[in-house]
Amino acid sequence: MPAFEYRQAEEIKQALRRHHVRYLFIGKSGAILLGFPDTTQDADLFVDRNPENGHALIESLRELGFDLTEQQASDVERGKDFIQLKNGPFDLDLVFAPDGIESFEDAWKRRIEVQDFPVCHIDDIIASKEAANRERDRESLPRLRAFRDYWMQKRNRNQS
Amino acid sequence: MAKNIPQEWLAEFEAAARRPLEVRLRYAFIRTYKPVMDDEKFRAFETMEDYRRWCEENLPRWLGYARV
Repeated sequence: MPAFEYRQAEEIKQALRRHHVRYLFIGKSGAILLGFPDTTQDADLFVDRNPENGHALIESLRELGFDLTEQQASDVERGKDFIQLKNGPFDLDLVFAPDGIESFEDAWKRRIEVQDFPVCHIDDIIASKEAANRERDRESLPRLRAFRDYWMQKRNRNQS
Repeated sequence: MAKNIPQEWLAEFEAAARRPLEVRLRYAFIRTYKPVMDDEKFRAFETMEDYRRWCEENLPRWLGYARV
């Protein structure tokens, strides 16, 4: 399978918007959208867990070309905490309860819009990686925290 | 700006900030095979704890998914 592309990020955005799905880019893909220069393999979406949103998400995923069985669709609709999709045009991770973030509503209030991509605030991305506490996160966190300082200073300067 | 950030990282952040989003994403997403992880088309975990435990018990350690 080829690497995830900008065009596919646009397709996610358009499809999820058409179906009014509430979600945020999170993880390294979220940080990259904010400007963090790094590499990753797949996109991670933090999705608001409620039946209506779950149903809309299924519609969007099928429209994007994900081949979901009824059982798989049910898992997505129910909002199991973590779902890996590799049965579509690109790899996608769905996270309904990321470590380190209290609630979707909290993250939604702090979200950043990057060219209409809804993205978790850098502090939430860092908090989720800190809470996950994996070896790969421990390696990437110092640079991500430095990016946070750079990004916040740049943002504050642009707002003043 | 950002005087505590190592110079090398700062240069990378500033270079990235000059690139359009489309270019940033083109550089960012790569495709490499991850053993075990990439061998199933679909996985769903009831809880994050289930997922973390599955990673620790099934993925090669060098992939870095184990908790510290």
